[in-house]
Amino acid sequence: MILLDYLSIALLIAGAFFFLAGTLGLLRFPDVYTRLHALTKADNVGLGLIVAGLAVQSDSWADAGRLVIIWLLVLLAGASVANLIASGALRRGIRMWKQ
Amino acid sequence: MERIKVSASWATNLYRGVLFVLIWWVLTDGVASSWWIGVLAVVLAVTASRTLVPPAAFLWFELLKFVPFFLWHSLLGGADVARRVFQPKMPIAPDLIEYPLRLPPGLSRVIMSNTVSLLPGTLITELDRNVLKVHLLNRNKDSFAELEAVEERIARLSGISLSAPRGGEESAAI
Repeated sequence: MILLDYLSIALLIAGAFFFLAGTLGLLRFPDVYTRLHALTKADNVGLGLIVAGLAVQSDSWADAGRLVIIWLLVLLAGASVANLIASGALRRGIRMWKQ
Repeated sequence: MERIKVSASWATNLYRGVLFVLIWWVLTDGVASSWWIGVLAVVLAVTASRTLVPPAAFLWFELLKFVPFFLWHSLLGGADVARRVFQPKMPIAPDLIEYPLRLPPGLSRVIMSNTVSLLPGTLITELDRNVLKVHLLNRNKDSFAELEAVEERIARLSGISLSAPRGGEESAAI
């Protein structure tokens, strides 16, 4: 059992690391498009790892399944909204940042 | 001909029914007393899904290969982006490229654009007729080939063969 706890801790810390990277990207990146990159990353990899870390601890398959469903719904929403914001920004003529 | 169509239609109902039953089981912890409304919900969900998403070919075996591909590339790309963000100089070189799609219009294109947006480093900004406008966080010479690889995977997922010729005149069908 203790091994599972360590696995959980490793996955949760890795997930938190990607959320931190995503947040830092949101603050540091220069324009709307690059910031969207940072956001979808945190959603996908960061939440995925956190969900994996929690699923390891769950008591039943149904609990783990619910966590996976949450992740999939966030992925779907994240990808769709990122596409909508990016196409909206492009249509309004917001220029992308270039070196 | 007609019989094949009917049996395919029932196969679709069956697959989707099983999927929704599974989701209901997960959501309710399989509590027996929830099934009297669960069955109704599953029937309504199958009916609604048939209107919203027309039956499409779907290869389970390919999905099993697609999931590890997606997870692994998410992790690789995520690490790459994190590495750039944490560096004081922040080495990024964004660019916008146009990618002519070979996938036919429909569900497979939706899967394609969502997958590309979720994979770190690429973001779909617009689907203009058959051309996908892809924003890259960091342009490199392999970007186009990577998009092709994703497209080929999704084509296999839906049993589509990408035989359309590259370049030249793109058809304007939407």
